[in-house]
Amino acid sequence: MAKTIIRFSHATFGFHDVLALKDISLEVSEGEFVGVIGPNGSGKTTLCRAVLGLLRPLEGSLQIFDCACEQLRCHHRARIGYLPQKGALDRNFPITVLETVMMGRYGVLGLFHRPRKRDREIALEALVNVGMQDHRDTALGDLSGGQQQRVLIARALAQQPQVLLLDEPTTGIDITTQHSVLELIRRLHQELGLTVLLITHDINMIRPLVDRLVLLKTRLFAAGPPDEVLKPDLLSQVYGKELVITEKDLVIVEDYHHHR
Amino acid sequence: MLEMLSYDFMQRSLLAAMLVGAMCSVIGVFVVLRGLAFVGAGTAHAAFAGVALAYLVGLPPLPLAIAFGLATVWLTGVMEEKGRMKLDVSIGILYTATMALAILFIGLMKGYNAEVYGYLFGSVLSVTPEELGIILALSLLVLGAILTFSKELYFIAFDQEMAEASGVPARRIFYLLLTLVALTVVVSLKTVGAILVFAMVLIPASTAYQLTHSLSHMTAYSVGIGISCATGGVMLSYLWDLPSGPAIVLLATAVFLLSVLLSPKRLRRAGLAAS
Repeated sequence: MAKTIIRFSHATFGFHDVLALKDISLEVSEGEFVGVIGPNGSGKTTLCRAVLGLLRPLEGSLQIFDCACEQLRCHHRARIGYLPQKGALDRNFPITVLETVMMGRYGVLGLFHRPRKRDREIALEALVNVGMQDHRDTALGDLSGGQQQRVLIARALAQQPQVLLLDEPTTGIDITTQHSVLELIRRLHQELGLTVLLITHDINMIRPLVDRLVLLKTRLFAAGPPDEVLKPDLLSQVYGKELVITEKDLVIVEDYHHHR
Repeated sequence: MLEMLSYDFMQRSLLAAMLVGAMCSVIGVFVVLRGLAFVGAGTAHAAFAGVALAYLVGLPPLPLAIAFGLATVWLTGVMEEKGRMKLDVSIGILYTATMALAILFIGLMKGYNAEVYGYLFGSVLSVTPEELGIILALSLLVLGAILTFSKELYFIAFDQEMAEASGVPARRIFYLLLTLVALTVVVSLKTVGAILVFAMVLIPASTAYQLTHSLSHMTAYSVGIGISCATGGVMLSYLWDLPSGPAIVLLATAVFLLSVLLSPKRLRRAGLAAS
């Protein structure tokens, strides 16, 4: 039985009386690939921020690794490689690919330690892992959306994390690139033995990849293998009218608008 | 031309200009990248209000300028975090309110005080040895802090939340940056003046921004441009008998305009768009 590395027990999160997540109990084991799904505003990103230690539970508890996260700024963060939701990256921001990936070392190094040759090697290795080694001196802003995602994944890998936390990694990039980014994540999961937590609205796309799906809508509706979670009665409770299930058992959540 | 270097006051003012040029252009990189331009401009006016108050009540100007400057940046930082009001609006209010205070303090003074106006318009040619000592000490402090925390400062300029998420104490680093901005502004007040100081922070960094797509290169270019414009401006001011503040700032502006015209980034993007 693999070690549990993330444990929510009856944890509730929110801001100013608005509850984003209520009474969540969930355990994630080392090496698992977990997909987190749910409609807009279901608390997916809150879950992500909680795992990162940016939010404290209002009730219940959250343990990451061996850490109870009472302290918001917690040492465990450097062991979680995080790919944030793709915001509008300023294409003119003067930063090269290698400089971007080196930032992955900064949190690990801590204050007062300057990056050394070894850190640079780790960053270059991370670039090789995502297949971007030939672009190390290219401006980040000159890359395509999919290439930028790869570089930001390399930045997360440069932390040498145990957990890879990806918030909507395929949103805002074209469909071919989406597949290649997901294939990259699958490969990193297998080859580097990383625990992956992938947050997405695209159920079809991740269904074949994950060990377990977690279905959220403020509460945790289900957590288990895809076949157990993707049941019409469960899904319709969460998605309501937006849900269409086709004959071939494909789940389509209509009209996804990305609010951000 | 070399005879100017034989005067004590010229040596002092060139050294002061060099230090201020270096300090402003380094902090400017983070100000430009983190989008704090307006914050700094507001701080300069607040610091000037501190100077005016000091002259009114007969206290040394530097500590009060620092106090006013710090109070303004920290208040701005809190306002940005709370996000209750748009940042440009809240800074706009702070900016004009502190300027109103400065005018009020000056109005309350009996008679005309030329020294106060020196802080408004800057007079690097009249820097005294004591003032040079203070500039040296504070610029070493600011540059030392930037050097020590450079990787964290770059990270929060790139993406503060991502920095926080990977274990960098991003919030504290952000307040450190604000504090360094305030100190830089205060130290530079005497040299280029409250109205013009922010040009010295913004222009070298924005010029460098046009020229490169690498963080380390941008910083190096910015410092080079900052020091050259500051010392070049002082020399022009001596040679042509111009006020020093405007000489420095206009020289820097000319370099900036040139960089916009010749920006490899812009030319390349235009080339990509055309092809």
